[in-house]
Amino acid sequence: MRQWLLVRLGRAVVAAWGIASLVFLVSRVLPVSPEQLALIEMEDLSRQIGPATSNEVAASQQAVRQRLGLAAPLFYATRTTGPAGEWHWHGLHNQYHEWLSQVVRGNLGKSYLDGQPVTALLGQALAYSVPLAAGAASLATTLALALALYLARGSGSAGRTLVQASLATLQVVPLFLLALILLLLLANPAVINLMPLASHGPAPNLLVAAGRWAVRAALPLLSLVLAVLPALTLPLVASLRQESSTPYATTARAKGLPLGRVLRRHLLPNALLPLFTTLTDLLPTLVAGTVVVEVVFALPGSGRLLAEAAAAHDYPVVVAGVLLLAGVRLLSLIAADILYFLADPRLRPAT
Amino acid sequence: MNLVRRPRSLAVAHWLAIGWLGLVLATGLLAPWLPLPYPAATPDLLHIAAPPTPPHYFGTDALGRDVLAGLVAGARRLVVLSLPAVGLATVVGMAAGSAAGFWGNSRLRIPVALVAWLLAAGYWLAALPARTGITGCLLLIGAASSFFAWWRTRTTGPGTGPTLAVPLDSLILGTTAVLGAIPRLILLVALAAGPPLSPTQLLGLLTLVAWPETARLVRAHMLRVRVQPFIEAAQASGLPEWRVWLRHALPHACQPLYAFVPLSLAGLVGLENALAFLGIGQAPDSVSWGSLLTTIRQDPTAWWVATMPGLALLCTLLALQQVAEILKRPLILK
Repeated sequence: MRQWLLVRLGRAVVAAWGIASLVFLVSRVLPVSPEQLALIEMEDLSRQIGPATSNEVAASQQAVRQRLGLAAPLFYATRTTGPAGEWHWHGLHNQYHEWLSQVVRGNLGKSYLDGQPVTALLGQALAYSVPLAAGAASLATTLALALALYLARGSGSAGRTLVQASLATLQVVPLFLLALILLLLLANPAVINLMPLASHGPAPNLLVAAGRWAVRAALPLLSLVLAVLPALTLPLVASLRQESSTPYATTARAKGLPLGRVLRRHLLPNALLPLFTTLTDLLPTLVAGTVVVEVVFALPGSGRLLAEAAAAHDYPVVVAGVLLLAGVRLLSLIAADILYFLADPRLRPAT
Repeated sequence: MNLVRRPRSLAVAHWLAIGWLGLVLATGLLAPWLPLPYPAATPDLLHIAAPPTPPHYFGTDALGRDVLAGLVAGARRLVVLSLPAVGLATVVGMAAGSAAGFWGNSRLRIPVALVAWLLAAGYWLAALPARTGITGCLLLIGAASSFFAWWRTRTTGPGTGPTLAVPLDSLILGTTAVLGAIPRLILLVALAAGPPLSPTQLLGLLTLVAWPETARLVRAHMLRVRVQPFIEAAQASGLPEWRVWLRHALPHACQPLYAFVPLSLAGLVGLENALAFLGIGQAPDSVSWGSLLTTIRQDPTAWWVATMPGLALLCTLLALQQVAEILKRPLILK
C-alpha cells in the first residue's frame, strides 16, 4: 500500500514538473518574449533621454537581458534560426537548467514588474487565499454531506426537487458568472449590500479582525462553495440511493431503525468512498476558483496575483502559480489517500 | 434501417433549449451580414455607458461599445471558436482514447524496419546534431531488419518479421496526466499569459485543454467494448486490426460522447468567457460576452452591460445542459 502511494505521488511530481516545464518553455519561446517587451520599454525610455548610439542601445539591451536572466541560451541544446539551422549543445549553462535548479532549492525567481522575489509576493498573497480556500473547502464538504443526507431521505417532494434542480443548474454556471451575479445582487447599494466598505486601520483585537475578515470574505466564500457544491453533492446522493437498495440497508430498516440513523450510521460510511476521489480535485479547483473570485471581489490574494501577472506577462509569477497549483494537487492526493485509510480499514497498510 | 430510436416527446424546456441554441447558431453564422449600426469593437464616444435608448437598443458599456453588437460578436465567437474547438478536441480525444484503450501497451506492434526508416527520415528532416552519421546508422538498421523480415517471410511464412510494441496506453495516459496536473482554467491562463493570441492559437489552446477529458472517457469505454464477442468475431474473420478498431470498436466506444459533447462545449464556452473576463491573452479588438461582462466592474451602476451578456451566457449553458439530457435518454427498441 505504501509503495502504491509512493508511485502515485511520484507520478504526480513528474506531472507537476512536466506542466511547469511546459509553461516555462512556452513562455520563453512565444513570438513576443518577455525580453522583447522589456526591450521595447527600454527603447521608449532611452528615446526620452535623447539620441543614443547603436552601441549604447545594444549594451543597454544586453544589460536588460542579464538582469532578467535571459542572456543564456534557453535549453540544453538549441537550434540557430534560419534555413540552414544547426544544433548547438550548451551544457548546463542555460535558462531552463538555471530555473529548474533554483526551483528545487525553493527560489522561484524575481518578478519582472518590480523585481521583488516571487516567494515573498506569493507568501503575502497566500495569507489571504489560504483561509478563503480552506474555509470554502470545509464549508462545502459539510454542506454537501447535509444536503446529500436530506436528498437521499426520499424523492418527489417539492423541496427536494427544487434543491436537486438548482444543484443541476449550478453545475453548468461558470464561477465567474456566479460570482458576478452575487456581486451585483448582494453587494450592490441599490439592491442589498452585504459587503460594506472595508473598514481600514488596525483592528483593536483579534476578534474584530476576524469579524472584518468574515464580512469581507462572506460573498467570495459563498460563490466558491456554490461552485463546487453540485460536484460534491450529486455523486454522493446517487451513491447513497444505490446503497439504500442493498440487503444490509433493508435489514437495518427491518430491525426498526429510523431512516435517518440508517442513512448516517450504515449507508454513509460505504457511500463516502467515491467522495474522497472528488475531494482530490476539490482543493485545486478551489484554488483555481480564487483566481476568478478574487478578481471579481477585488481581494489581494494569490489568485488575483496570478491573474494580474498573466495579464502583465510577468512570467516568473505565472510559473510560480502553476507550481503552487501542482503542489496543492499533490497535497490533496495525500489527503485523499489518508482519508481512504481512515474510512476503510481494509485499505490500511499492514504494519 | 434503424432498430432503435430515441423517445419522441420532448418537454417544453427541451424545445426552448433547442430554439435558443438555434438562435445563437444562426446569429453567429450570419453575424457578418447582419445590418448592425455599430461595429462591436468601435467605441461610440458620444454615448459612453448610455442606458438602452434608440440609437443603442441595448445600451453601451463604459468604453462606449454597443452592447447589442457585442452580443452578436459573442455569438459569432462561440460559433467560430468554441464549436470548432470542441469538434477538434472530440476528434483528437476520440482517436487517442480509443487507440489507447484498444491496443493497450503491448498489442500495437509495428515492424522494426518501419520504425528505423521513419526515425531516419525524422532525424534527417529535423537536422539534429551528427545528422549524417546517425541517419546512416538508422538506415543500416532499417535495411538490415527489412532484409531479415523478407528472408523470414520467404522461409517461414508471412508476418513473422521482428516487431516493436508501442506503449500507446502509457504515452496517452501520461500526456493527459501532465495536462491534468493543474485545473484547466489555470493551464489556460498560464499558456495565454503572453502577447494577445490569434484566433488560431486560441483555438489550438482550447483544443489542448479540452481533449484529455474526452480521451479518458472514450478509453474507459473502449476497455469494455474491446472484450466483447463481436470484436473477437471481427478479428477471427481476418479483418486487419485498424479496420476492426475503426469500423467495429470505435462506433460503440463513442456512445457516451453523444451526451458528453454538449457538456464539453458548455465547459469550453465557460472557460473561454472566463479567460475573456479576466482579460488574458485577448486581442484589443476582440469582443465576447465575457469581455462585455468585465466592463461592469468599471461602472457597477450600468446594469444593462451585465444583464444581457450574462443572460445570453447563462441561457446558452443551460440549453446545452438540456440538450445533453435529451441525448442521454435511453434508446427504445422499435
